[in-house]
Amino acid sequence: MANRREFLTLLGLGVGASTLTLWPSLTSAATGGNTRLLVLMLRGGLDGVHAVPPYGDPGYTALRGPLALSPAGPTAAGAAALKLDATFALHPSLGFLAGQYALGRCLPIVAAAPPYWGRSHFEAQECVENGTDTPNGAETGWLNRAAGALHEHGLSVTSVTPLMMRGPSKIDSWSPPLPMHVNPILLQRLESLYAEDPRLATAFADAIAQQHVDASIDRQMAAQAPGAAAPKVIGMRLGVMLRAAGTFMARPGGPRICFVEDYGWDTHANQAPILSRKLAELDQALAALHDAAAPVWDRTAAVVVTEFGRTARINGTNGTDHGTGGAMFVLGGAVNGGRIGGEWPGMQPDRLYENRDIHATTDQRQVFKGLLGEHLGLSPAVLATRIFPNSTRVPPLAGLIGTPAVRALG
Amino acid sequence: MHSDRQRAAASAVNRFGLGARPGDLERIGDPQTWLLAQIDHPADGAVWLAGLPSSVDYLRREAQLRRQLQELRREGTAVKPAAATGPGAKPVNPFVRLYRRAFGEDLRQEAVARWRIAAGTGTPFAERLVRFWSNHFAVSVDKGPARLYAAPLEREAIRPHFAGRFLDMLLAVETHPAMLRYLDQAQSVGPDSMLAMRADRRLARIARGKDQPARRLGINENLAREIMELHTLGAGSGYTQADVTEFARALAGWSLPFPRQIERDGITSAFVYRPAAHEPGTRLVLGKRYPNTGFDQARAILADLAAHPATARHLSFELARHFVADDPPPPLVERLAAVYRRAGGQLSAVYAELIRAPESWTQAAVKFRTPQDYVVAGLRAGSMRIGHRPQPYEGLLARLGQPTFMPRSPAGFSDVAGDWIAPDALWKRVQTAEALAERVPRAGLDPASFARALLGPQLRAATTAAIARAEARQQAIAIVFASPEFQWRA
Repeated sequence: MANRREFLTLLGLGVGASTLTLWPSLTSAATGGNTRLLVLMLRGGLDGVHAVPPYGDPGYTALRGPLALSPAGPTAAGAAALKLDATFALHPSLGFLAGQYALGRCLPIVAAAPPYWGRSHFEAQECVENGTDTPNGAETGWLNRAAGALHEHGLSVTSVTPLMMRGPSKIDSWSPPLPMHVNPILLQRLESLYAEDPRLATAFADAIAQQHVDASIDRQMAAQAPGAAAPKVIGMRLGVMLRAAGTFMARPGGPRICFVEDYGWDTHANQAPILSRKLAELDQALAALHDAAAPVWDRTAAVVVTEFGRTARINGTNGTDHGTGGAMFVLGGAVNGGRIGGEWPGMQPDRLYENRDIHATTDQRQVFKGLLGEHLGLSPAVLATRIFPNSTRVPPLAGLIGTPAVRALG
Repeated sequence: MHSDRQRAAASAVNRFGLGARPGDLERIGDPQTWLLAQIDHPADGAVWLAGLPSSVDYLRREAQLRRQLQELRREGTAVKPAAATGPGAKPVNPFVRLYRRAFGEDLRQEAVARWRIAAGTGTPFAERLVRFWSNHFAVSVDKGPARLYAAPLEREAIRPHFAGRFLDMLLAVETHPAMLRYLDQAQSVGPDSMLAMRADRRLARIARGKDQPARRLGINENLAREIMELHTLGAGSGYTQADVTEFARALAGWSLPFPRQIERDGITSAFVYRPAAHEPGTRLVLGKRYPNTGFDQARAILADLAAHPATARHLSFELARHFVADDPPPPLVERLAAVYRRAGGQLSAVYAELIRAPESWTQAAVKFRTPQDYVVAGLRAGSMRIGHRPQPYEGLLARLGQPTFMPRSPAGFSDVAGDWIAPDALWKRVQTAEALAERVPRAGLDPASFARALLGPQLRAATTAAIARAEARQQAIAIVFASPEFQWRA
């Protein structure tokens, strides 16, 4: 067991300059603008209510119980939330995003969903990715079609090309060699499977226990050496991928369209500690993106999307089940943020969709269209036909890009 | 399909083969017929292996390389260790540097070919047998001089004979440069041979006037011992140290061409018998006298070792343990050994008996996948295409504790579950499952049907439920690969 840490360290290597230099230098595409768009997809269904707690909503505390967060101080679910306005806060793990919000460069969008409102992961993800209003609406991805319309090579920071990036337009891809940590939800699922196997059960349980020890050593080391925070991000898969994406994007002639994905957001049980860790990883990874993309940050917009939100009420295992309306984040130096986007439908029981989910008030395609139009210069006609077929009646969300009118003050 | 038949199909593909590709369980038809057909013709690696250099080619190029190095050394410039290129960088031995430049591409191609065979072969049982023998006759590439020849050993000595007579494979292996170098046979010289006598006189001249005594040339017992202990009779089967020493004397002179000889005369064979290094005299091995017939003396001993009942039992036990259970039923082992003896060491007859044996198809017949088999099973399950870089897969295996052609001893990698089931090992398997799942093309793939297609009736309800709850296709596939039933081959 002693060599697991060594193993993880080993995996952290080999992600550096040598692979990054493999990026082909692209001849300047004939597209005028020089802006960058990154899409980060969180698979599994991020609980928007947990990430962007509507602490000022009168229904919130009652429905959330032990998962409720408050800017007033610590709760059973974690430290004090980071207040954004009179209704919303950010999860305490999202310090970098809160800072960007204060700078006017982070725009949380609440109660958003793809047009598909069923609750299947696979179908919802397909709908998010294919850009139509149904899971089977297209066999190519909207981001690929957008890259094609811009005559750009997109970059997928994945080992196989996900649906959002599949299609006729050529896509480059890059991925770190191996996952650094095992997805905790995968582990949760496996624990019960291994418990049934008499010959493997003990060894597997020991492996999990050792993992906890390793994690606490990591925390101790991080606490002792605050300056060592950067390598810590390198050790995490999402951090590695977003840092790589940022590095690629920052290169002259680097990709204007980039896709990154992450797993492990399906929090049916024990949600508070899982999301504290996952959101901290996300936050640090987005900070790594910011650092790596520094030279082009003022021309960059990143959008964080998930396939659905989760139930407004918590379930019997301190988690939440598949829902509808969820959160998105738009982030970057080009973003007109420092405010909450979307319309909040409320959490009182009579405002819920089917008496269980946050009612979705924003079609995710509105956000995508707003970004592709304002930030990348695609025309409304192209957006409503080629990129998001039959979406004339889905208007782009306006004002996502630009200098914030009023800077939010610390 | 009848459920017994389904179970047998899953066993044939997963326990006797390299792991199911989607559709295999239906495609193979009658499981026993499918397996038997694979031992009737050579393993179908030829397509992937075409164009790889022979050991003779490698020996020639090695000799050229050595000469280049000598010339460089004479010039006295370029052979200095390369300057350190960064902080902490170690100077690289100039020979190592030249060697890498000369053979790096060959080693890459050898590795790629082997992965492509594993992922793509339509005769996976034959391939398992090739790999079984490759591990039985283990060499390790961490012994530098053997490094280039480990893959050729499998290609040249094992593959052509895996379903033939054991003696033919044994002879091909023990005369192969990989084994001769790995077990130090190449330098073994009979103490009373002409070569040793000449060397004695020379050394005596050199040592005269100095304090140190002259070091004598002599035999090296390593190969003789491992042939008896590992390759044929098996440990504890009754041979003595005297048998080993006598056998080693008989083997003295089995060697490979030296660089100067290759440069001067050219070669057509990677094996050389050196009469001048052979120990004169009759040898007594396992109570039988072998007159000095030169090369044929050790050859005759090998033939008797191959035909020995202890060898029949040893090989039968290993085969049964490889395909049936860590503790194979003794009656099965006895029957296999009887067939081996009756058939004169014809291996296809032994395999046929193994396939037809009822013990091979019971619920108790369960094996744990070694890391190599685990990774290969994932590649086949995902119909993954092997690119031009073997490094990701080789790296996985190294981390999982089974680096290709690098066992820790001539005994090869362990073939029992206990040696592979450890917390850290399982953890790395879960990480591997995630890494492999990422590479499976997942468009339109239904994870539940995928799991059923791979595991058939071996798929458990709990796993099906976990797959159904997965948050993304990729995670569902990772659950399949990480599930206990994918670690086992039932």
